[in-house]
Amino acid sequence: MSSAARLLSPRYWGVHLLALVLVGAAGWLGLWQLDAWQTRRAADTVDLSQVAPEQLAAVLGADDPFPGDKVGQPIVVAGTWLPEATFSVSGRTGGPGGDEGSWMVTPLLVDGGDAALLVVRGWIADPGTAAAPPTGAAELVGWLQPSEGSVVPDPDPDDDVLPALRVADAAQRLDRDLYGAYAVVADEVAPGGLPAGERATNPGTAGLVPATPAELPEAGRFTAVRNLLYGIEWWVFGAFAAFIWWRHLRDLREGWEAQEQTTRSVPGDGEDGRPLTDGHAVRSES
Amino acid sequence: MNAALTRYRVMATVVGVLLIVLILVGVPLANFDGTGMWGVLPSTPDVWPVGSTAHDVGEAITTYLGVAHGWLYMIFLVTAFMLARKARWDLVFTLVTLVSGTIPILSFWAEHRATARVRAEHDV
Repeated sequence: MSSAARLLSPRYWGVHLLALVLVGAAGWLGLWQLDAWQTRRAADTVDLSQVAPEQLAAVLGADDPFPGDKVGQPIVVAGTWLPEATFSVSGRTGGPGGDEGSWMVTPLLVDGGDAALLVVRGWIADPGTAAAPPTGAAELVGWLQPSEGSVVPDPDPDDDVLPALRVADAAQRLDRDLYGAYAVVADEVAPGGLPAGERATNPGTAGLVPATPAELPEAGRFTAVRNLLYGIEWWVFGAFAAFIWWRHLRDLREGWEAQEQTTRSVPGDGEDGRPLTDGHAVRSES
Repeated sequence: MNAALTRYRVMATVVGVLLIVLILVGVPLANFDGTGMWGVLPSTPDVWPVGSTAHDVGEAITTYLGVAHGWLYMIFLVTAFMLARKARWDLVFTLVTLVSGTIPILSFWAEHRATARVRAEHDV
């Protein structure tokens, strides 16, 4: 019987099974940690209420491009509503059942300048039933969002419904500069006496369901890194178990081959004349 | 052989001590907060609530020491395996020595047993 075939005999099935179980378990545990890593990062991404709000002026000027690391940043903004420029954005899901509806959007002329910020006040199933838009001064916390990029053809450019929240499209509806961003009125923010929820002044959210921001920030680089490192560790462990298994089989084969050699090369038969203990001699290095 | 034994003993001691800190100190501090544990236990005794200093210390231990211990254990495995090859241990003795490194307190017994065997069978 060749030494390779001998390794497959039932005597060694236990070793093979153990190796299979160890490598399989380590691989599965690694996948489990990787899954936990992704889940925790996704959960962290959604939780904007843990981010401390900043003043709008500190984050974005009227003519600035959108700062890429400020997606979803809660901002505090004060200004005056421009109710005549109110419009709705169709095709938005919201409400308790995730129904199709619209966002109600009213520009807010930001205090201390002459540019307006588009503010998503909330979601409503039928924009025709929405209450009159707010007027006067307001102060609120909103999640900052970049202008939506895709160009969707507007079936009726003359009505008060837009198919997407593009700042460039909205700019044609009023005679003001617009910030290159929009804000979604925040219903839940980090604690600290901020003008959010019931503390907001005239946020224009009456009769509307809080809208969910479309774009969420990326999770931090080190979020749940423990799970990622554990996942890699498990795979290294699995590889190590496979290595031990391979070394063990190699030891067995070398032992058998050395044995065969000693039985074959009887002194005097003149094959190669190597000493009988050849297979063992190289292993006594300690 | 002597060097391999020393490397193994150093790593076994380091990993064994850290494992005790991790499992017998860090894990209870981080998890006995009255909530579920690892998705296995529905609830734990509410000894150190979330937000308490003890709980924070436990979280820090399980986070940093947990990961560090995992990698140190890999190094331990390599040193133990190299010693096993040099001392020509059989597979079972080798595996028991390797696996015992994952069990708090028992790891010290395994280290003692391995060292005694090397000393008995080899000239160190």
